[in-house]
Amino acid sequence: MTPTPDLAPASPEALPDSLRKPVGARKAVRPRHPYRAALSTARARTGLVLVGVVVLAGLLAPVLAGHGPTDQSGQSLAALGTPGHPLGTDDLGRDLLSRVLYGIRADLGIIAIAVPLGAALGCLFALAAAAHPVADTLVQRVFDLILAFPGLILALAVTAILGPGRLPVVLVIALAEIPAFGRLLRGGILVQREREYVTAARVGGSSGPRVLVRHILPNAADPLIVQIAVSLTVAVFIEGAMSFLGVGVRPPEPTLGSVLSQSMPYLDQAPHFAAGPLITVTALVLGLSLIAEALNRETRR
Amino acid sequence: MRSYLLRRLPSALLVLFAASFLIFAILRLVPGDPATSLAGPDASPATVAAIRDRLGLDAPLLSQYAHWIGSLLTGDLGPSYAIGGDVSDLIGDGLGATTELTLAALLFVILLGTAFGILGATSRSRWIRSAIRVTTTAALAAPPFVSGVLLVVLFAVVLGVLPPGGRVAFFDAPDLAAQYLLLPALCLALPSAAVLGRYLKDGIERALAEDCIRTATAAGIAPRRLLWRHALPGALPPVVTLLGMQTGHLLGGAVLVEAIFAWPGLGQLAEQGLQRRDYPVVQDLLLLLVAAFVVVQLLTDLVHAWLDPRIRWE
Repeated sequence: MTPTPDLAPASPEALPDSLRKPVGARKAVRPRHPYRAALSTARARTGLVLVGVVVLAGLLAPVLAGHGPTDQSGQSLAALGTPGHPLGTDDLGRDLLSRVLYGIRADLGIIAIAVPLGAALGCLFALAAAAHPVADTLVQRVFDLILAFPGLILALAVTAILGPGRLPVVLVIALAEIPAFGRLLRGGILVQREREYVTAARVGGSSGPRVLVRHILPNAADPLIVQIAVSLTVAVFIEGAMSFLGVGVRPPEPTLGSVLSQSMPYLDQAPHFAAGPLITVTALVLGLSLIAEALNRETRR
Repeated sequence: MRSYLLRRLPSALLVLFAASFLIFAILRLVPGDPATSLAGPDASPATVAAIRDRLGLDAPLLSQYAHWIGSLLTGDLGPSYAIGGDVSDLIGDGLGATTELTLAALLFVILLGTAFGILGATSRSRWIRSAIRVTTTAALAAPPFVSGVLLVVLFAVVLGVLPPGGRVAFFDAPDLAAQYLLLPALCLALPSAAVLGRYLKDGIERALAEDCIRTATAAGIAPRRLLWRHALPGALPPVVTLLGMQTGHLLGGAVLVEAIFAWPGLGQLAEQGLQRRDYPVVQDLLLLLVAAFVVVQLLTDLVHAWLDPRIRWE
């Protein structure tokens, strides 16, 4: 990222130094990078640890899981701490620890494709909107149309065409992310474009694309970084919701949402059935929102 | 006000029209023929043709679309393909249940949100203030299926005081119905109540910091009166707008909460219709839900414009 003239006031801890130093030495007191500052707060560190543990568990699922995610043992609804099944087994006698671990893995696979896809499409729409007023009107209407379908209704509409499965989950998440990223970037570009440093860069002879890539985009990107963390939470939410609605990834493959939704009919006999996915989803969502909040606070300064 | 409505109306109608077209088109793109799946695997081609004829599937697409829109406008939605019964009746039943759930949730949102907001802003006990902050953060972050499972485990399994799911019609047995309604409505309301609480808390804190409040305090007006007569009214307008937006969210969230608590509303109907490839039900239902969402958004904009004249003249 190229340092563009920072028009925001220097952060408080940088002030006394900058007052003491001569003008030419400004580089030495440049405030700490906001993302790094945000990620070193206690809040963000807690979030990173929570998310890190869950992601690691998912990545290492084949190593950590003692059983295949769909292997059935004779014992159904085994209790917590049963030898060989630390989290017990589900109604079909499948090892719950293995199902949760492979469930994380399935969710990660979906999210890793869907969120970047949605973000990229949203940003493309935003660039098109910033390029021409007619395109802008069209793009705005597309966003309106997507937003006219509340997330889960969108999920139902997409599964109406494709049938349940992994692909519709990915598409619904990506579709739901498009307006969020698109609107943020479009707004950011429109605001930054009017700033004086952009005029200065133009006067200095930079070409249009160069001004956009080297000057406008880096300054319009802050809200997008926060949005990524928010989008990951939304993705976990949509996957789980679609599993509950019976239109998610097809059984017997486990996802966090599907293991939790399968536990619902057995909650009165075997509440521990729900424990694994419940704790995992909570850790993931809590961690991501802590990170998002830390980034949000720091970039808004 | 009327000119603002006239300006906002075309774009709302445009979105509705585009949505209706999309919903109609996507269901025609679905692989598989509803007539074949309805007739069953062993049906003769003649039976399938008869079913196609009865359902009007052979007519040109444009006339099918016109017929569909016409049926929506007259309210006579015809028979369902697979679930059985008239689509109007199915949707009517589901709509009743979903409206009941949404209204109950809205009530919870207002009660809990106001309590969170006022206590969070004015309580002298630090303990209460941080308890409220933690509660709202958790309620905002937790997906409904997590809070739903927790509510069921706590109230239905551990305490055994409320049923884990299902519905009793309200006018048959109000006290029993309320028991069935409580958990789903609470689960649906929690995130919106947290949002409302946070907004209200910020609003009250800002209003209490104004100079006029300091003057009023100096003049000896009781803190309680200051809160209810001065700070709260000042904090309300943005909260009303927010409430409108949250009503839209409740409508969307209801689909999921219905699945968690086996609440027989529109969401459950949509699920059934999708699984059995019942075109008319799915089509009508999706459009109805989108229309409801668009209307709520339009109403929200109108209330916002009514409260804030700057928007009207923009």
